[in-house]
Amino acid sequence: MSDRWKIALLLSPAILVIVILFLGGMGFGFAQSLNYMPIIGLDSPNFDAYVSVLTSKSFYLSAFLTAYISLVSTLLSCIIAIGAALILRRSFVGRPFANFLFQVNLTIPHLVGAIGILYLFSQSGFFARLAHEFHLISQPGEFPAMIYDPLAIGIILQYVWKEVPFIGIIVLANMQSFGDDYETVGRSLGANRWQTFRYVLLPMIFPGLLSAAMIVFAFTFGAYEIPALLGQNHPAALPVLAYQKFKEVDLGAARPEAMALAMIIAFLSGVLILGYAWAARRRIRS
Amino acid sequence: MSIFSNAVHRAAQLVVFSSFIAISAPTMTAFAENADYKNWDDIVTAAKGSSVNWFMWGGADNINQYVSDWVGSEIKKKYGVTLNRVGINDTAEAVNIVLGEKQAGIDNKGTVDLIWINGGNFRTMKQGNLIFCNYLDLLPNNKLVNWQDSSIANDFGLPVDGCEVPWNRAQFAFAYDKKRTPTPPKSIASLIEWVKSNPGQFTYPAASDFNGSVFIRHVFYYAAGGPESLLGDFDQAKYNAVAPKAWAILNEMKPNLWREGKTYPNSITTLAQLYANQEVALYFNYDPAIFGINVENGTFPASTRSYGLENGTIANTNYVAIPYNSPRKAAAMILANELLSFAAQYTKAKPDVWGATPAIDLSKLDKKSRDAFNDLPRNPSVISPEALAKKSLPELNPQWISAIEKGWQKNVAE
Repeated sequence: MSDRWKIALLLSPAILVIVILFLGGMGFGFAQSLNYMPIIGLDSPNFDAYVSVLTSKSFYLSAFLTAYISLVSTLLSCIIAIGAALILRRSFVGRPFANFLFQVNLTIPHLVGAIGILYLFSQSGFFARLAHEFHLISQPGEFPAMIYDPLAIGIILQYVWKEVPFIGIIVLANMQSFGDDYETVGRSLGANRWQTFRYVLLPMIFPGLLSAAMIVFAFTFGAYEIPALLGQNHPAALPVLAYQKFKEVDLGAARPEAMALAMIIAFLSGVLILGYAWAARRRIRS
Repeated sequence: MSIFSNAVHRAAQLVVFSSFIAISAPTMTAFAENADYKNWDDIVTAAKGSSVNWFMWGGADNINQYVSDWVGSEIKKKYGVTLNRVGINDTAEAVNIVLGEKQAGIDNKGTVDLIWINGGNFRTMKQGNLIFCNYLDLLPNNKLVNWQDSSIANDFGLPVDGCEVPWNRAQFAFAYDKKRTPTPPKSIASLIEWVKSNPGQFTYPAASDFNGSVFIRHVFYYAAGGPESLLGDFDQAKYNAVAPKAWAILNEMKPNLWREGKTYPNSITTLAQLYANQEVALYFNYDPAIFGINVENGTFPASTRSYGLENGTIANTNYVAIPYNSPRKAAAMILANELLSFAAQYTKAKPDVWGATPAIDLSKLDKKSRDAFNDLPRNPSVISPEALAKKSLPELNPQWISAIEKGWQKNVAE
């Protein structure tokens, strides 16, 4: 069998899945976002849904909230993950166990973690009851609000908890593959610890760190279940807003808007990732 | 030709070929259910050995148990039909499945055989021609239903038209803990005063939740001085006259609500948790039986009691409906008929099973069955449906409800 045949055949399952399932689904969604839903009688495509979404205040509030959650979660996760990786690459007593503990989160689904956050941090949760035991608060309302709150503290906590091991493993593997030769050279030339980290190690792990951060950012931007469980009702994260519209019973009015929101989320995620990658590529090359 | 473009060429050929197969596959399978049954015996014969996928809200364990265990074993025993209960978070999900299948051209091999449904979701299915209708005369238990009652013959103001089978009646009621809140507010007017003296102790789910929406409608009725002027088709002028008053009331309450009204619980289950955790003092639900169930399973305190409002609370009927593309309509009709039977309605009226109000007309039963219903014990935390029914308010057309929900979102939530 010639090579070209082989390549085509080997590629075809992946391409088929992407083209038919994913792009096909997106195509349907795009058609609906243009107000084209023949089965309920909407036959003339137009941009009304997009106009209505882009002129609503709630869209911009949601977009800002989602970007804020993603940015803060990604930044915090990166910082903590680098710190953890720096510690874990040394050898110390109990290192295999620490490694194991560090990775345990990876197997726990996001939803389970979210329920854990609800259980621990809600105003009638574990820590609130502890505070009540120690007479720090007398009513649930006095405990700081970390769930359903405007700063999305519970959501960010959950994302950081889950993403730190993810980024950490990648960064740790990267660091271990480079070894510590470069840093030793740097130290021997007179750089202090911070300078060695900032000018020698960080640029080396930056590509790996960047791709992990991009994955985390894209995931948190489009994730639905954590803001749905732990987030406030308004403004809601963009995927929650899209799903709320999708569930509305008045098909003619709400469905095209829901699809328009979904298209916009996909587009925004794509733009943010491409922009991030472009900016980083410039940095890596220099 | 480069390798890449060659691969794309081959891939495109594969796509065309496989989509040809995918499109012709449904026509290649011979079986398409002929739903023109002449009588009940035909239905029983056709359904034997079949299964039925019932998509229903799965948020209450007791209901799930009643359906899967009791109803499932009954229809298996009597008709050889296997019940497959599918729990969903929101009825709209099942409607979306049928809608998606219709869009994809799946008119004969749908996944959904029966949906627990009413109100706006029923309207959506009617709007999209997604329901199977005109089979009620074939069901023997249909004679137990009082179709002369306009609150059964109309689902949120929309005529049922033989497209749905009633399952439960429900009437909205409040719940409170008599130990913590000895004098709860028993009307919307006194609620408005009560939140001022009890800040942070009350909230309601956002309008996107079914129960949150109905609470907001109670305030709307209060602002309109009663539901009479709002009945019938949606009228923009009437809405514009009443809505600002309703939003003014809710906005005035806002700073005294839980979290100072900056956010509202996403669903009624969250409100139940807040009540159970003593973060708020009042709870409410369309189905007061849930108060008793929660007391029995230890979620709510045993001192929970319930009440209706002085000016009445909204009551409605909920139904089951068969999608147009179900390939197992006979089994679905068997199930719908069984749900209407005295045994099924009586079992679910038991307080330790569900305590749900029957949708059948008790006067059409024989004396023994009627007495059995009247002799049912009741959990003290659940107000008696008869007492509630003395002051019941009708539902509005789904268009009114959509307008009210959108108006709340824009004028109160934001």
